[in-house]
Amino acid sequence: MILPLNPNLSSIPHLSTQTPSKFTCIHHRCCATPSLSLTPSHSRRCDFYDLHNELVPYAEAWRWQKSIVEEKKALSEKDEDLAESLIILQHQPVYTLGAGSSDEFLKFDLNDAPFDLYQTERGGEVTYHGPGQLVMYPIMNLRHHKMDLHWYLRALEEVVIRAISSAFDIEASRVAGLTGVWVGNEKLAAIGIKISRWITYHGLALNVTTDLMPFQRIVPCGINDRQVGSIKGILQSQGNKEEDDDDDSELIDISCKSLVTHFCEVFQVDLCESYTKMGLDKSKLC
Amino acid sequence: MATSLWATRAASFLRINVPCRGFATGSDVPICYLALYCYEIAAAFIDWFLKDLKYADSHEWVRVEGKSATVGITDHAQDHLGEVVYVELPEEGSKVERGASFGAVESVKATSDVNSPVSGKVVEVNTKLSDSPGLVNTSPYKDGWIIKVELEDDSDLPCLMDPERYTKFCEEEDASH
Repeated sequence: MILPLNPNLSSIPHLSTQTPSKFTCIHHRCCATPSLSLTPSHSRRCDFYDLHNELVPYAEAWRWQKSIVEEKKALSEKDEDLAESLIILQHQPVYTLGAGSSDEFLKFDLNDAPFDLYQTERGGEVTYHGPGQLVMYPIMNLRHHKMDLHWYLRALEEVVIRAISSAFDIEASRVAGLTGVWVGNEKLAAIGIKISRWITYHGLALNVTTDLMPFQRIVPCGINDRQVGSIKGILQSQGNKEEDDDDDSELIDISCKSLVTHFCEVFQVDLCESYTKMGLDKSKLC
Repeated sequence: MATSLWATRAASFLRINVPCRGFATGSDVPICYLALYCYEIAAAFIDWFLKDLKYADSHEWVRVEGKSATVGITDHAQDHLGEVVYVELPEEGSKVERGASFGAVESVKATSDVNSPVSGKVVEVNTKLSDSPGLVNTSPYKDGWIIKVELEDDSDLPCLMDPERYTKFCEEEDASH
């Protein structure tokens, strides 16, 4: 069964438009980078919500994103500048469909789905989110960057390619016509976004230590003839990692740090870390 | 300036290839002038066809005929989106408001809102887009129309741009990014 988004499920964190003085700001001074980066005239502030070790219910994160988007749209209409936002987290096991997704890519009965299933407004086909997968939700006003969907998607890919190259020396690449980040025939990161009045949301999902079995119950992203991979799997196949679950959290931490660093570089933003415990209902997190 | 821009788009719209004047040989000259003549006719036709349209700054067009309006996305928008693979349509009978989203188009793993330039009630949706979303790319002003609206009133129209102003708007937007 496809789950609707229950508006009464929980409170939505209130996000102040001003940086409260009690928050600690972490500034990452970004280096100018070639190709996908814009000519930096200045770095924009980006509120950073670091939940990379939390399992956030999908519905909570979805509502949270939409509340940020509505706030940004309202302020954008008044020409009031607002910082970008970046959320990074993990999800409990869940399948999500894009706006135009076909259920032909599901290998299970809708009424007997192995995990929760949400029909969302993002682009792309069905995908899986679960523990061990880092999900990044940048909420950006592209009017302050480049009003070009293609540029934005390539930039998200660039973030991941640089991140896993610098952190793990894994050479990843794009495949023309297949948005995402690939190592050989394996997709490590899936991307699907929504744009409303040039405000982006949804984002990307990078398999770090993800259990890939749930992907076998779907045709991931509607692509039949390729596989899904993970950073852990690549490292093991290269002989660079033993089977050791204790290292999984370290892999997640390293991946997160690298993703965030390269996000700042590609999008020319300075991060300001926001403490989510001030807003998000922690009892809803796993 | 605006007409020449539209003429260029007209040639593309009608899939007309125009040989470059500067490289025409003796035997090509009659064909060259014939092609140019056709090109100019097509450009004038497109100019006439599109002149009654109004445009929103979110790149939707509207054609008003009495109390009825037809809405779609512009050639500029479809060109920037790339291949459209899915169009989310509203329900017939639903209300639309000027500036508010009523649907979405998906391309390249991204869905973008489609906003209504006018307020009113949706009386018809282009169901052909369900099977052929690419009509938005190939025929944005004709077969790729998205909804027809029964207007509440015509007070929204002065807020919209005419073709010349919209062309300038697009040029400025592209130049700034």
